[in-house]
Amino acid sequence: MMKKRFLTTILAITAAGTLLAGCGSKTAAPTAAPTEKATEKAADQTTEKAAEETTKQAEAAEDVTLKVFSNLPDRKNGQGLVEQMIIDEYMAQNPNVKITVEALDEEAYKTKFKAYAMDGMPDVVSIWGQPAFLDEVLNAGVLAELNTGDYADYKFVEGSLEGFKKDGKLYGLPRNTDVAVIYYNQKMFDDNGWKIPETYNELLTMASDIKAAGLIPMAMDGGDGWPMAIFMSDLVNKINGSTIETVANAVQNGDFTAPEFKEATELMRTAAEAGLFQDGYDSQDYGTAMNLFTNGQAAMFYMGSWESSMALNEDIPEEVRTNIRVFTMPVVEGGKGQKHDIAAWNGGGYAVSADSKVKEEAIKFLNYMYQPDKLSKYGWENGVGMSAQDQSQYMTGNETELQMQIVEIVNAATSLSGTPINDCGPSAFKACIESEIQSVTNGTSTVDGFLDVIGKACK
Amino acid sequence: MKKLYSNKLVIASLILPGILVFVFAILAPICLSIYYGFTDYSGMGTATVIGFENYSKLMQDKIFWKSLWHSALLAIGFICIQHPLAMIVAAVLDKLQGKAEGFFRCVYFIPNVISVAVIAYLWKFIYNPDFGLLNNVLKALGYTGKINWFDSKIAIWSVLVVLIWHGFGWGMLIYYTGIKNIDPVLYEAAAIDGANNRQTFISVTLPQMKSVIQVNVTMAIISALKQMETVYLLTNGGPGNSTQFTANYLYQQAFKAFKYGYGNAISVVFILICIAVTILLNIIFSEKGKAV
Repeated sequence: MMKKRFLTTILAITAAGTLLAGCGSKTAAPTAAPTEKATEKAADQTTEKAAEETTKQAEAAEDVTLKVFSNLPDRKNGQGLVEQMIIDEYMAQNPNVKITVEALDEEAYKTKFKAYAMDGMPDVVSIWGQPAFLDEVLNAGVLAELNTGDYADYKFVEGSLEGFKKDGKLYGLPRNTDVAVIYYNQKMFDDNGWKIPETYNELLTMASDIKAAGLIPMAMDGGDGWPMAIFMSDLVNKINGSTIETVANAVQNGDFTAPEFKEATELMRTAAEAGLFQDGYDSQDYGTAMNLFTNGQAAMFYMGSWESSMALNEDIPEEVRTNIRVFTMPVVEGGKGQKHDIAAWNGGGYAVSADSKVKEEAIKFLNYMYQPDKLSKYGWENGVGMSAQDQSQYMTGNETELQMQIVEIVNAATSLSGTPINDCGPSAFKACIESEIQSVTNGTSTVDGFLDVIGKACK
Repeated sequence: MKKLYSNKLVIASLILPGILVFVFAILAPICLSIYYGFTDYSGMGTATVIGFENYSKLMQDKIFWKSLWHSALLAIGFICIQHPLAMIVAAVLDKLQGKAEGFFRCVYFIPNVISVAVIAYLWKFIYNPDFGLLNNVLKALGYTGKINWFDSKIAIWSVLVVLIWHGFGWGMLIYYTGIKNIDPVLYEAAAIDGANNRQTFISVTLPQMKSVIQVNVTMAIISALKQMETVYLLTNGGPGNSTQFTANYLYQQAFKAFKYGYGNAISVVFILICIAVTILLNIIFSEKGKAV
């Protein structure tokens, strides 16, 4: 009995000692050493100035960890590579700053973003300057306000900051100017005598020729829904000549019965029925659709200008890579939209968390990223489409033909469509249209039924 | 030792971890779900109580009922296709003996060892109309057409095949274990009585497996109801909700449509359905038990 009690006492003392030692070691040791050093130094030098300098140096060397939450999981190609290059450069220039990156695909990113919004956001985050994403985020107050004056010399394209503002206050910065384009394989076109279509009907006629040649006319990421919603926006733009006001009214009133929406939906459905897209397009994802094009199985690929880095991606067979070119949605017969009325908008960007414990450093890093010779320049050099800042001075003369085509498209544009339809309403509308658009194009639901359902989702 | 176990402090310290896990990991989330189900919470910002509005919308939500029907279809598929097959395979494996028994047991269980993400992408490629294995096999057999296995008219059946195939190993393993536990004397007696394989299976194996069948069927129905990850990765409920399942729809509403309150209302109804089904199954099995 005595022995047992003795052992218990010994164990209790050991445990308590371990706990106390554990508590003490972390806090006491690091603070004691600098204090002693500072005191000795101050005593040696005896001047107040020297002591102040020492303090400043100590502060300057204070370690800061920034967490970047990104929607660019591929860190070796395209935009993800550009983002990582800037992060590495910033860390090299600021040795006391450590930047950790968590990167997820878009849908997973948006889901986790919401979880973070409830439980503490990372310091710097990817955002989208579109109502479907930003309205709820800004209402929740999770993003820090930025000083508009800081960006006076950053050469942002006029109007590009508007999507990131609420009540005149700025909460984020745009990364790209996105343009909806039709990538095509020029060699394939030349070999078969196919010409770039001038009208939508010509596109459909060409689709049947391409199918007859045993190829897929256009690879479409229909599984995700949003590329088809952009396709629809593109058509509305060609039919109506503009989309911003028409879509804003439709979303506000929850009424999509206007003739331009009906015609655009019918045209899209006609395209699907005519076999413009690959079989099973409505269930195939981004990667699968893109692979059909980059492997030479599809003659065209409908996507945004951010994929212009395909021309530099060595994973793509050279025969395809060097022959990728673009054109924009052809005009619709009888439509008000002309050749150079294009579907373009400022979408993705970055913001700083309102609750960041290192907000000052996070904003400093954000501003560093957006210095015109960083995101814009590196993006251009790596063929990542067009940024939301003036890139003209970074032309090297070594641009790919694909890059130059996109620049020409934007320079020649007579109007820009603005945010695509799916991103113009609340999240419930976005989720609804991206799912229902699959049903209406594959014939499961009617055009009127589709327009009715998406209208209701706005309310 | 007896004195130690009668000490209330010791008893409390032993059950406390379990109680804490239950309260914080199960009870509290359920209570929170019930609360949020009565709000218009978007997942961010503040929540406003809106009474039964979410529930009244849910009753009229065609996609919810469609997704519930798909869950029921899967449960039927599990019970009518997967489990009879699993039981037959388990009985055949039991008869195989030797190395072949171990080999095939592993082969049938492999799908359960592979990650759900891999399974989903594997089947995406198998089903692909342009370069998928299935269409290529059909082509090799002389079929000239191209089947879109995820066409909205047949997509649900394609998804059910994957889910039934994926869960087959577990069902088979549980039945196999059940068969192994049957007293061999019963088989010897059946053999002496001149029973053939079919008669032995129906008169000896099946009755002896009653409790295993009960457990397996209950688990199958619950897993059908809460099916999420494979569907999410394979089709995400598409095209156009044609393969939507309740748990996936709940997730989409809460985290994609930013209707967290509505998503929680779905989860509450979902929990009630799961509880009701479990009670119903218990009643069915207990009545059958009494009858036997």
